[in-house]
Amino acid sequence: MKDKTIKIEPDPVIEVYKKDVDMTLIDENLKLSVEERLRKLFRMQELIEELRRATREATNDRL
Amino acid sequence: MTDYKNLLTLLVRGGVQFVVVGGVAAVAHGSARTTEDLDVVYGRSSSNIKRLVEALSPTNPYLRGAPPGLPFKFDEKTVTNGLNFTLITNLGPLDLLGEITGGGSYEQLLPYSLKVVIFGIECHLLGLERLIQVKRAAGRPKDLESIAELEKIMERANPTK
Repeated sequence: MKDKTIKIEPDPVIEVYKKDVDMTLIDENLKLSVEERLRKLFRMQELIEELRRATREATNDRL
Repeated sequence: MTDYKNLLTLLVRGGVQFVVVGGVAAVAHGSARTTEDLDVVYGRSSSNIKRLVEALSPTNPYLRGAPPGLPFKFDEKTVTNGLNFTLITNLGPLDLLGEITGGGSYEQLLPYSLKVVIFGIECHLLGLERLIQVKRAAGRPKDLESIAELEKIMERANPTK
């Protein structure tokens, strides 16, 4: 693992974007293990799929 | 929906050499953003391509977004003659990358990867700093928010950087 040798120079455009990063969400994620973070992603995907399905059905019902 | 667990399990159990990159790697590092596909950089040796094809063939890989009926066959010849493939499988979308901008090949990325155990399997995940470099090098406007988030995560871990 050689990552510690990589230096990331500040980029002015990215610095602007950093101001809008919600660190409260990130801090919650950093409390989790890698596996817990991925499991959370799966749960979110399931929610998204279910919402898409429900929205499709509701939209079709109106047509 | 992507069944990351089973896709990764197939690759690992099949002895495929690969590094997880992209959105899943970002989530693993703490990103709060969501993603819908699995991106992996795979080794281009003929033996690894053979293992890759054998591992993934049961999932019926097909070119994502392509019309049905194209003469696409996921076999060693196709993978050898190509490089990067955006696929749909029975387990969800999968991007197989022979090389990535700013990161290069599997062999070039491996020294910058972390070995993690997830779902009882051991796989390589691209390290945070290298992931940032690769996303910067890709130069895609859609990555700007993601890069900003990853850099904030890096700053949390290393306040002096």
